[in-house]
Amino acid sequence: MSPAEQQGESTWDVEALLSDALRPIDPPERLSGRIEDTFTALSAAAATELSDWAEELTDSEMRALRDPRNWVRPVVAVGVGGVATGALVLFELRRRGRHEANGLKGLASGVRDRF
Amino acid sequence: MSGPEENVEPAQLAPAAKAELDRAFEDFYRAHLRDVYSYAYYRVGNHHDAEDLTEQAFLQAYRHFDRARRESAGRPLRPWLIRIAHNLASNYYRDRSRRPQTPLDSADPIATRHDTEDLVAGREELRQVMANLQHLSDDRREALIMRFALGMDNREIARALGRSDGATKVLIHRAIKQLQEEMEEGDESG
Repeated sequence: MSPAEQQGESTWDVEALLSDALRPIDPPERLSGRIEDTFTALSAAAATELSDWAEELTDSEMRALRDPRNWVRPVVAVGVGGVATGALVLFELRRRGRHEANGLKGLASGVRDRF
Repeated sequence: MSGPEENVEPAQLAPAAKAELDRAFEDFYRAHLRDVYSYAYYRVGNHHDAEDLTEQAFLQAYRHFDRARRESAGRPLRPWLIRIAHNLASNYYRDRSRRPQTPLDSADPIATRHDTEDLVAGREELRQVMANLQHLSDDRREALIMRFALGMDNREIARALGRSDGATKVLIHRAIKQLQEEMEEGDESG
């Protein structure tokens, strides 16, 4: 038995063994290439996504214009506007009609008064 | 205004900010690729899965790199990166319900530079210590991998494992002690 063992000390320098056994490992070359390719693809995808997004915005606007479902609101708006305008015209005509009628009645009564 | 806890995906950044982030991440990646790969390899025990794990760890780190930089306040980001690898390795075991079948590619230590005589005796000792390493609990083994394979200090290991500095110091001390006892037991039985 060695003196170290007699004193209850370990004969193993575990820390030195661990330093030797658990040495850093260089990654294979292909891994660096693989990860860099992935990031390049990610960046390219992000750039494409941005430009697609801008193009899609224009396309979607065009599609929206062509979609008949989106025509209802403008048609209703034109219809309501037309009815309102028609009502105003009608009201104005009736007002003028009454005015003219009153004028004829007034003229007739004036003529009667004269005779 | 974005708060410090808000994560902005790199693709959502303005072009100039994204270019700066990409450059910083490239430096970060180059500085720590070996660390992550070493950690992954010693955790999963084979090169194929270690490569996948390393790639996943960096992809995840990239997504949160901007926020990590903001929140680190200048502290090193290595513990954060190793923690990502640590969580991925834990998921790896949980998803596949497995542990390394042949630990560390048959527990064969990577070639070392020794004299011929030392080589024969030394390799056996190394093989023994690697085999005993597998008998440790997960947290003890991980702490030793971080300490010896990555050269992390107690504080870094504590941050990577989400423990206090004191608890980490005790964890490493006990891990080494357990290994020492197992090596001695092996001596007595062998």
